[in-house]
Amino acid sequence: MVPVSPGDAQGLGLERAILHVDMDAFFAAVEVLDNPELAGLPVIVGGTGGRGVVASCTYEARAYGVRSAMPSVRARQLCPDAVFVDGHYSRYSEVSQSLHQIFHATTPLVEPIGLDEAFLDVTGARRLLGSPHAIAVSLREQVQRELGITCSVGIGRSKLIAKLASKKAKPRADRRGMQPGPGVLLIDEEGEAAFLAALPIEALWGVGPATAARLHALGVRTVGELAEMPESTLVSRLGRAGGTHLAELARGHDPRPVEPDRGAKSIGHEETFPLDLDTMGELQHKLVRMAESVALHLRQASLGGKTVTVKVRFGDFSTITRSHTLPTAVDTAPAIGAVAGALLDGVDVSPGVRLLGVSVGGLAPGDPATQLSFDLAAAPAAAESQEDAAAIQESWHEVTAAIDAIRLRFGRAAVGTAAMVGNDRLEVPTQRQAPWGPNDDDGIGRAAPPG
Amino acid sequence: MKFRSERDSLVEALATAGRAVGGRGSSASAVLSGLLLSCEGNHLAVTGTDLDLTIRFDLEIIGIEDGSCVVPARLVADIVRSLEPGAVTVESTEDKVEISAARSRFGLRSYPVVEFPPMQPPSEPGTHLAAPVLAEGLRQVVRAASTDDARPLLTGVLMTNEGGTVRLVATDSYRLALRDLAGTSGFDDETEILVPARALAELQRIPFPATGGGEEPSVGVLTGPHEITFTTGSVRISTRLLDGSYPDYRQLIPDHYPNRLHLGKESLLGALRRVRLLVRDNTTPVRLAMRAGGVDLFVNATEVGDASETVDGDYTGEDLVIAFNPSYLIDGVEAVMGDEVLIETADAVKPATVRGAEKDDYRYLLMPVRVS
Repeated sequence: MVPVSPGDAQGLGLERAILHVDMDAFFAAVEVLDNPELAGLPVIVGGTGGRGVVASCTYEARAYGVRSAMPSVRARQLCPDAVFVDGHYSRYSEVSQSLHQIFHATTPLVEPIGLDEAFLDVTGARRLLGSPHAIAVSLREQVQRELGITCSVGIGRSKLIAKLASKKAKPRADRRGMQPGPGVLLIDEEGEAAFLAALPIEALWGVGPATAARLHALGVRTVGELAEMPESTLVSRLGRAGGTHLAELARGHDPRPVEPDRGAKSIGHEETFPLDLDTMGELQHKLVRMAESVALHLRQASLGGKTVTVKVRFGDFSTITRSHTLPTAVDTAPAIGAVAGALLDGVDVSPGVRLLGVSVGGLAPGDPATQLSFDLAAAPAAAESQEDAAAIQESWHEVTAAIDAIRLRFGRAAVGTAAMVGNDRLEVPTQRQAPWGPNDDDGIGRAAPPG
Repeated sequence: MKFRSERDSLVEALATAGRAVGGRGSSASAVLSGLLLSCEGNHLAVTGTDLDLTIRFDLEIIGIEDGSCVVPARLVADIVRSLEPGAVTVESTEDKVEISAARSRFGLRSYPVVEFPPMQPPSEPGTHLAAPVLAEGLRQVVRAASTDDARPLLTGVLMTNEGGTVRLVATDSYRLALRDLAGTSGFDDETEILVPARALAELQRIPFPATGGGEEPSVGVLTGPHEITFTTGSVRISTRLLDGSYPDYRQLIPDHYPNRLHLGKESLLGALRRVRLLVRDNTTPVRLAMRAGGVDLFVNATEVGDASETVDGDYTGEDLVIAFNPSYLIDGVEAVMGDEVLIETADAVKPATVRGAEKDDYRYLLMPVRVS
């Protein structure tokens, strides 16, 4: 039995010991690892063209104010000496695989989030491997020793605390230069309230610009202030589900378990909108773009899936999902989009949609075997019908292969469907499913293999 | 209304007519979850409807007082079925119906008769089809119709006239089944009606009445502009026709095939059913490698394992590997009459045809599964 000793800096007393491991500037770190002459320089991984964006950058670049997702042009203005390099997604995947092997050697309870992040539940590993803090320190050393790149580890009794702690553990870079972070940060139950209280509300999962604005209007800027609000006030301002949920988070309550293999069950893309959307046309347009992103990730992972799910979260945080399972697997954007669009059509969006997501589950490896169908020209509603997804998949199969080849050679924005046309360029959505709401760090880099 | 009936014949009537009730769209008015009982003399008609499909069962009873009432379909069928064997008495008052048998008595709320959709008195069938031939054709064709309401036309079976005989066609866009009912007639050249497969599936469940004197049992057919009625024995099934023009299926049927595989039906079916045991998700295809001397079947199911079979037969044409949904292929082969089956193919992505080697009145077109 592990002795319960509150306030213990080793974290032996945590009811659950959850680690959040996050690589430091992952893509950029891998580039520096592979090209040692770049060490110590401001290195930016991302589109080198005039319209590219920063996928990831070293802390030396961050010291100049460069951030992920920033237009490359802006990054160059901030840091004229920056070294721009093309991304090498397959190489990142390779490093990621080694990384996850290290995780799995620690505990089988690993929930991967993208290539360079994971939650580890080490509650049960404590008896074998020692205190959570010791596990985290040794994990961090092992990553650095075996992979040559660094990570930061947050430890807490919930995923929420672990995630927030890992962010605090990271190196920091501002105009004064780069400050190394603690690398490992444990927040025990005693320290939780004080730790949370100081954070801005935007740090909490689920607080996007819209919710933040509403809370600011109430004079609430920190999580501490949020925790002091009566729950009834929050419920009246944010709706029952949203208010209750946020009050729980502000008090550090996040019962979600670490779910191993979650990443392998489905591939999805979701977006939280700055303002709730309530017109079907606009949402359908977003959906088409999301389908493109999901399809791309499926194909990058050499997967196809049969179950298409649309997730809609309304302004009051109530969330619904609608799924349809096809007879055969799909991996093209038009096929996924047709099914998702029909599902979304059945949803009343008039209350205002805060978050929209598309995911494909029922994954199977390889080029999906496609049930071909007759060309029944006279059958109506061909474009809307879900049953026709297989036909759409088939008709787009070769086109999509061609699109992939073009993108591989000329970049993601080289070719796309009309729905991808943004203000002045093709905008291929790239964010992988972001369980923490609008991305704060490396979001684009993580999901957008440049080139 | 008051009548007395044998429990078993009343159960059959309630259960049969009840199959039209509440299949879908239960949001419709409550009275549609009821069965209309109409008693006249020694005759009872039990009618259930969901507005699209109507099933009426006529039976002889001992009539005591004419009249009608609408009873909750499922409940009354369950009650009558569980009564002691013997006579059942049903008596209705204004808003109640009493069912009694032996020492059991049930008093149930009933629905207002005026709310029940008005029913046309039955008309005489316009034509008759030989029951065994129709039954065979339905068994072969109805399975290929779509069950997806998103494509309403494909949930129907096309009944049309082809060279003076009745032709049945159904497709769900993956496979198409076609059967000419030899020796039948009754539809004129322009007839092209689209009957919901659901109604035909119900028709298939009705046992054909035995007829004396070596006379072949028949099914009466009456077509109107918007509905069709089938009459067999004591059962009448009426259904609203599907509206719209059916896809031009003729253009799907290839003129000729370069490759032809000739196999024993039972050995092929046995092999297909065995390899299908590995298919859990209905998306794993069976590969058929056709070559001189027969065909090799192969299923590779991720996370389960693989299986192979060889079926000897005659093959003419180029060596070809083609993949199908095993259930779809089995559906087509099962429906072949006779002992010998032909599978004709063009290439790995064009429709194949399954048909009997001896008879040419049934064709099953099947689209392959494209595999890499």
